[in-house]
Amino acid sequence: MSATAAERGTVYLAATGTALPGAPVDNTALAALLGISEEWIDLFVGTKTRHFGWDPATGEVRGTLADLCTEAAAQAMDGCGFGPADIEFLILATATPDTLLPTTAGEVADRLGLGHLPVFQIQAGCSGAIQAIDLGRTLVRGGHRAGLVVGGDVTHRFLSATPEAARMPREELVNYVLFGDGAGAAVLTDEPEGERVAVRAVLNSWTGQGRPPGQLLDWYGTTDRDSGRPMLAEDYKAIEEHVPTITAEILWELLGGLGWDLDDIGFLLPPQLSERMTARIVEGLPATSAREVSCVSETGNTGNALPFHQLDRLLPDFTPGSRALALCVESSRWFRAGLALEKV
Amino acid sequence: MSLDNVDVFLRTVRDDLGLDLPDPSGADTALVDLPGWDSLNLLRLVALLEESGHRVPVHRLLEAQSLRDIHTLVKEYRR
Repeated sequence: MSATAAERGTVYLAATGTALPGAPVDNTALAALLGISEEWIDLFVGTKTRHFGWDPATGEVRGTLADLCTEAAAQAMDGCGFGPADIEFLILATATPDTLLPTTAGEVADRLGLGHLPVFQIQAGCSGAIQAIDLGRTLVRGGHRAGLVVGGDVTHRFLSATPEAARMPREELVNYVLFGDGAGAAVLTDEPEGERVAVRAVLNSWTGQGRPPGQLLDWYGTTDRDSGRPMLAEDYKAIEEHVPTITAEILWELLGGLGWDLDDIGFLLPPQLSERMTARIVEGLPATSAREVSCVSETGNTGNALPFHQLDRLLPDFTPGSRALALCVESSRWFRAGLALEKV
Repeated sequence: MSLDNVDVFLRTVRDDLGLDLPDPSGADTALVDLPGWDSLNLLRLVALLEESGHRVPVHRLLEAQSLRDIHTLVKEYRR
C-alpha cells in the first residue's frame, strides 16, 4: 500500500528516555534546607519531590547536565534498538548548559559515540522540548532518517545551598520551591518504528512582543561577578494570570489546525509548573474525558525535560488509534508550544 | 526585641519583608488590601517568625484577616 502525501511527511516518535539525579528530595528535606515551612510548600506548591544533581548541604555538584542528557538519550536509543550509526542529528534544548562552549549538545554527542552529524543546541525554557521536536521534524522531512531530541536543566548555579529565605526577594525565592534537575530525550524517525507515535502537529510560536519576561535567568562574567543583580526572578503573578488562558488557546489552536474534536483526545499533557499550578491550569480547560499525564509532582519543574517525562509516562498506555495533546507555555518571553500525537 | 510587642512585630514586617504598611493603621488593614501581601510574603513571614522562635502553623495564619490577627497567633505560638 502506498503512503499518502501526508503520511510521507509525517515524523514519528520511536522511543523516549528520562533521567533524574540521585534520590528524591521531599518537602521535609527541602523545607529544612531552605529554612522555610514544609506546610507552606504542601499547601501552595503541592509538588511532592524533586531531584538535585548537587548536594543541598554543601553545594557540591555530583552530576552535570551532560550526565543527565547522555543517560536519557542512551535510554531512548536503547528503547528503539538504535545504535550510534542510526542517529543522523542531535538537538539539545536547555536553559542551563554546563558551559557556554563547548556546548552540552556536543559533549552528549561525544559520549553517545556519535560523529559527523549536525548537532544543535537550543537555548530555551519550558518550550525547549517542543522547539527541539519542531526543528527535528524539519530535519527529518529534509531527508534525515532518524535523530535525537534532548532536553534538560540543572539548578546548581542558580539555587544556593544556604539561602536566607526570609530576606530573599519573592521573585527569587519562588524558584527554590519549584525547580529540580532532570533530562529527557526522544528518537525521531521518518517511518513508524518503536513506539510508532505520529507527530501530527507542532505548535511553536513566540508571542512576546512588547511583553515583559515572566522568567529571568541571568549569568555573571569576569567584569560583573560582584554585581548584585538577580540571577533568577520569576514574575509568578503574571504566570498565574496568563498561563491558564494561554494553555486553553494552545489547545484550541492545535485542535482547530487538525480538525480534531476535543472528544478525540484520549490523553492530555498539560504545562508542568508545579502540582498546584498544573491542577489550576487543568481546571481552567474545557471539560474533557482525556486522561491527564503529569509528572511535576514527582520530578519538580525540570524545564526543558518536562515534556519528555510526560511522553515517557504516556507511552505505556498509548494504544493504536489513541490521540494526545501536549501543551507548553514558556513564560520567559511567552512562547506558545504544543504537540498533537497519534499512535499508529 | 521580642515580636510579642506589636510595634516590634510591625517594624519587622515593614523592614524585613519590605512591605509598605499604612501608618498608623497597618496592624488592622485587611491583608488583602496590604500592598505586596501575597503567598510568597506569607512564606517569608513564616521563616522570619521561626527565626524568632515562633512556629505558627500556616493553616492558622491563613485564617488571619490582618497583621494584628497574625500577631495574636505569634504570641500564642511562642516557643
